Amino acid sequence: MKLAVAVQRYGADINGGAELHARYIAERLARHADVEVVTTCARDYVTWKNERPEGVEQVNGIPVRRFPVTHERDPNHFGRLSRRVFDQPHSIADELAWLDSEGPASPAMIDYLERSAAKLDFVLLFSYRYYHAWHGARRMSAKALLVPTAERDPAIGLGIFGPTFRGVRAVMYNSHEERAMIQAATRNEDVPGVVVGVGSDIPARSDGERFRRKHNVRKPFAIYVGRIDENKGCKELFDFFLRYANTFPRGLDLVLIGSAIMPIPQHPRIHHLGFLPDEDKFDAIAASDLLIMPSYFESLSMVALEAWALGRPVLANGRCDVLKGQCIRSGAGLYYERYEEFAETLYALESNGPLHTRLGRNGRDYFTQHYTWPVIERKYLDMFDRLKRDDASAARRGVEPLGGWLARRQRKQQAGAEVLARIPSTAVIPGSGPASNLSRSA
Amino acid sequence: MTDFSIRSDNVDVEQIMRQIRARIREKRGVDYTEEEIRELANVKLEKFLDPRGVRSDLLEQFRRKREASLPPNFKFEDTTLFETHRGLLAFIRRLLRPVLKLLFNPNPLIDALNIQSKLNAQQAALEPLYYEVIHNLVLETTRLGIDVKNLKMRVESMSSRLDFDERRARALEGVVQYRPGAVAPLQPPAGAGDSRDSRGPETPEQSERRNRRRRRRGRRRPDDRTGSTGLPRASAESGESRGAESARDAEGPPRNDSESGYSSDRDLSPVHRDPDGEPSES
Repeated sequence: MKLAVAVQRYGADINGGAELHARYIAERLARHADVEVVTTCARDYVTWKNERPEGVEQVNGIPVRRFPVTHERDPNHFGRLSRRVFDQPHSIADELAWLDSEGPASPAMIDYLERSAAKLDFVLLFSYRYYHAWHGARRMSAKALLVPTAERDPAIGLGIFGPTFRGVRAVMYNSHEERAMIQAATRNEDVPGVVVGVGSDIPARSDGERFRRKHNVRKPFAIYVGRIDENKGCKELFDFFLRYANTFPRGLDLVLIGSAIMPIPQHPRIHHLGFLPDEDKFDAIAASDLLIMPSYFESLSMVALEAWALGRPVLANGRCDVLKGQCIRSGAGLYYERYEEFAETLYALESNGPLHTRLGRNGRDYFTQHYTWPVIERKYLDMFDRLKRDDASAARRGVEPLGGWLARRQRKQQAGAEVLARIPSTAVIPGSGPASNLSRSA
Repeated sequence: MTDFSIRSDNVDVEQIMRQIRARIREKRGVDYTEEEIRELANVKLEKFLDPRGVRSDLLEQFRRKREASLPPNFKFEDTTLFETHRGLLAFIRRLLRPVLKLLFNPNPLIDALNIQSKLNAQQAALEPLYYEVIHNLVLETTRLGIDVKNLKMRVESMSSRLDFDERRARALEGVVQYRPGAVAPLQPPAGAGDSRDSRGPETPEQSERRNRRRRRRGRRRPDDRTGSTGLPRASAESGESRGAESARDAEGPPRNDSESGYSSDRDLSPVHRDPDGEPSES
């Protein structure tokens, strides 16, 4: 079997969510098929500047073919177009201009994928909202599997993405909530889909004491791992934690791991350790009492899965339906929506030993059941088998055309934010008890 | 108050969250989510904008304005008067423009209309801001109203508790009987120097021994029943040993390791704890 994985950026040093997801999947599927990664020369996801050499190189034993990006992103132009398509009635042409402005625009990459289609069994297109995924899905829909990595943002409400989701062969979702949102936005229930997510390379042995010695952290602590950014809910986390720290002067500390793009409050109980290598990160999670995930928007939190794999409960932002749903389905985490709940849940996890232990144990079970690599690989391979067995009509269905020159310029498209607001934001909750039928069907 | 037990492996997170929210509600009295406050505020806003409720002609007009779609603003530039999509006509107009200007000066008219167009645009941009300001004011007023109501309830509750405590204190005072001889009569403060002088001069060893004895006595407390560590019994005697447990016992709040989960209300009541982190009765 020959597979191509198309993703906006790729590299061993790139830790972005979708890109890391793509790398993990490519490396794992390489055990079962010939895998080639097709990507751009970009390293920076804001500018898409060509920083890597064009051509083929090996990354962890996987051939990676890079194509140049034709233009860098102009933030002002992209911002203007984003406001137009997200907040105002607009046309299909506006949305296409937005897509081109967002980038990374690499027609050469799309041409290569189209030329190689005959030799490939399937193409995995990562991140629905980028140029390569949209054009790739239209050009070779008969072989395209989409891994949307969709968050709850107005882009999902844009009209150009509906035909893409309805036209690909299959969709590999990250979570039940993501599937519910995409199906509500694009009516693609007929397209084969499965909730897969991604595994993680959890070390066989992580050593919390090693972390404590190395970084001189002595007191019990809660941990946050990820980019320290207002968009990730860190501002709210700091506000809540400072209030909590005033109420409990002897409670848990907060350890932050990741690069900071917002100011971190100076407080004796908040420790920022910067970006750490994977070994230290896993040691830190093992040393922690719990992981806090304050993000409002996630399609799948890999770090939450890693915490569960290491038997640590998660305290998540309840306004993120994906995280809330995962906490409920796994029975391995609590969630908050305001300060009072934050204080109560954090205190419960801090002070209630049996609760902490059982949540941690449930997390480990949940990870083992749904997110270990054999499970993930099996879901992909089963989907490939299913698509091969399916009749050819499904493969010929293709993506609906966009309409003619005039039709594309009619301002009939609703604002993306309006469409998104009509999509219910709720956690998908199993009918009876944790880890029930819904989890098994995943 | 409701307590939940962690007795089986199936932890129902939703149930735990329901109980935590119920606990918060009990503590805060009437509790509203952000959405509920917004709903309440919207109700008030509608009332506010209803001229029958407020009898404000201005607000009625404001409301009508919001309902009626305003005509689009007309952009007026210096070329607007002479614009045409027909090339020939545009050429003739341009050719004859000096003749027109010979008869009258259109520039002040163009300037005035241009300014008017800009004013219209500014006004249109301000209108939603006014509405937003009113909306936010009503929202905040609603929130404050709810807070005041909650605070009133808490004050009432605390004053009734205070009354009760005072009555109980008076009742207990009435019960206490004075029995001569039960308590040793107070001795007049004897001068330390006198007694020492009576025993003669003190050697350094004796002084050190007395200080040590005083320090030991000082550490002893009559109500010290929890053990030498001073920790609550639940933490000191039982518990599941995990990493850094000793550090937690020494520095953190007590972890209730008993099988019953939340053993008491105080274990889950951050707002009832004093600034030192010690539980306090509320």
